[in-house]
Amino acid sequence: MTVGEWVRNTSVYRSVIRHGIAPTNRNRSLIIFENLFLHVHPVKVREKTLRFTHTFWLGGITLATTIILVATGILLMFYYHPSVPQAYRDMKELQYVVDNGVFLRNLHRWAAHLMVFSAFLHMLRVFYHRAYRPPRQFNWVVGVVLLLLTLLLSYTGYLLPWDQLAFWGVSVGTNMAKQAPLVGERVRFFLLGGNIVSENALLRFYVLHCVVLPVALLLLISVHIWRVRKDGGVQGPPDDERRTP
Amino acid sequence: MPELEGMFGPEVEEETPTRRDFFTQIGVGACAVAAVASGIVTLDYLEPKVLFEPPTTYVAGSPLDFAPGVVVPNQEKKAFVIGGANGIYALSAVCTHLGCITRYKSDESAIACPCHGSRFDLEGNVTHGPAPRPLPWLDVSQDANGNLVVDTGIVIAHGKVFRP
Amino acid sequence: MTTPIEIIDSEDPLANPWRVALVRPDGRPAVHETDERYVMTFPHLILREIIMFQIVVIALSLAAILFNAPLESIANPVETPNPAKAPWYFLGLQELLHYFPPVVAGVVLPGLVGICLVVIPYWRVNLEGAPLWATPSRWKAPTIAASVILLSILFVAFRCWPIVIPTVIIGVAMFAASWARAGSRWQWLWGVTLPEWIMTWFVVIAVVLTVIGTFFRGPGWMWVWPWMDAPRG
Repeated sequence: MTVGEWVRNTSVYRSVIRHGIAPTNRNRSLIIFENLFLHVHPVKVREKTLRFTHTFWLGGITLATTIILVATGILLMFYYHPSVPQAYRDMKELQYVVDNGVFLRNLHRWAAHLMVFSAFLHMLRVFYHRAYRPPRQFNWVVGVVLLLLTLLLSYTGYLLPWDQLAFWGVSVGTNMAKQAPLVGERVRFFLLGGNIVSENALLRFYVLHCVVLPVALLLLISVHIWRVRKDGGVQGPPDDERRTP
Repeated sequence: MPELEGMFGPEVEEETPTRRDFFTQIGVGACAVAAVASGIVTLDYLEPKVLFEPPTTYVAGSPLDFAPGVVVPNQEKKAFVIGGANGIYALSAVCTHLGCITRYKSDESAIACPCHGSRFDLEGNVTHGPAPRPLPWLDVSQDANGNLVVDTGIVIAHGKVFRP
Repeated sequence: MTTPIEIIDSEDPLANPWRVALVRPDGRPAVHETDERYVMTFPHLILREIIMFQIVVIALSLAAILFNAPLESIANPVETPNPAKAPWYFLGLQELLHYFPPVVAGVVLPGLVGICLVVIPYWRVNLEGAPLWATPSRWKAPTIAASVILLSILFVAFRCWPIVIPTVIIGVAMFAASWARAGSRWQWLWGVTLPEWIMTWFVVIAVVLTVIGTFFRGPGWMWVWPWMDAPRG
């Protein structure tokens, strides 16, 4: 009996994972629907949808980057103070003092870029495969909101290092909001907590970036993935209905 | 669709509202009022009441320093004080396009924005690029010592120069 | 006790979705059967998901080891860097700001794009999936030609060549598609639907603007060639 088999036969393990370990289809089904996270999947999937060209895994890559971003983001928060000029000093500390600090910051940054990129490509894939058509209309709208949230998350995170890049990127961006008729000026004032990009703005962006937007994103991702299942599962390219001349 | 009539049970007749309907409406209405009110209160909470932003006025120096053609930028207060042919005036250095800080190019005697390539002449008029409006003219006054005081918070009419 | 299902014929199920069939409470809706092959989610899908996740983690870790995230000097509100660039995914927007008044480039155009994206699945033309030239119509060619020419003139008026050129190219390609012959290597062009043409137009413009904003803009937002040293301004 191997160690793994012994562990899986203990009463503690069996209290957590109830199904047996024999490789039967019944146990394989139980793996899926006795697990809170896996049961967004059906027990069986259409073989066609496993093909790479059906999804290019773009939605999955976006979700994977989200998981990486949450993990690295929480770790970075342990060393970050949203205040001026401590925020910038924390960047230097992460870079030169904290073990693996620079690795985590880099990982967070590049994962954020990849998330924007793959979310955009995912949208294009869904469009060109016409997977937005009924009954998936609402899920398309959820997806557009998710893309918007992704951009906002990336943008609010852009200010947090409080370097020149961050400050002027956000100054230019929030001045764009000012151009909106009637409400633009007020929106900018509320967003920045003042008339200029200052410590208030840093704190507001921090709260948005670390609490408000991630919670909204995770909730909507849940809706999005659940709707994929409810609307009939992953859909690849449409059956060829194009007529030739 | 006559064939559907009676299929799903008898039609419900229009009735006068019952006491239950009335209380349901009162309840839903109260929830809506509470939701709107808490939204307004939250928005009010989020509006900063005191701002610790730097003061808008600064002393630019003696009027004698500003002979025609002299341009003195103040980086910190984001303004230019310029000696013109008819008198002294102050220009905001904040680009009217998207709020970047413009710079004075002495070799071209022009003001240029680094962000999107807007250019202004020394009176603040747009000569090139995406800026939609000329640079605002700022209030210039004299304090008790005779020094020029610029208030970046007060915009005055274009072309209104200060004569000491 | 079964009563036969009453089917009401309809010419166009999209126009009259409630008229397709009437399912009586005592009848049973027939389920559309397929002969597709199904596989167990575990292990076939779950293992692929795990591998995908691992590839993403490894690729990003390599990137994080090899390339440092940019960090410039501490924020200085009085010193605008030259050029001041937003993150790459907003550089298309920043490039637009170079051509249009801020209210157009910053509010109107992004707002239109957002609204268009949201309403895609609620527009009938997007649901039909018929190739552009499949249904002959007297008005189609003149309308498309007029739209392309009007849009081109509008963008020429703003000197916005990065939009004019893709507009003209897509416009020409739309008409070229109507002559694509069956059996030729351009046959796929014929099958492109109107919404796909429009989306392709949007994507090409977004990519062109983003690439220009990222690589071809230097100090003062002047045009620079990325392989040459940018003059310091």
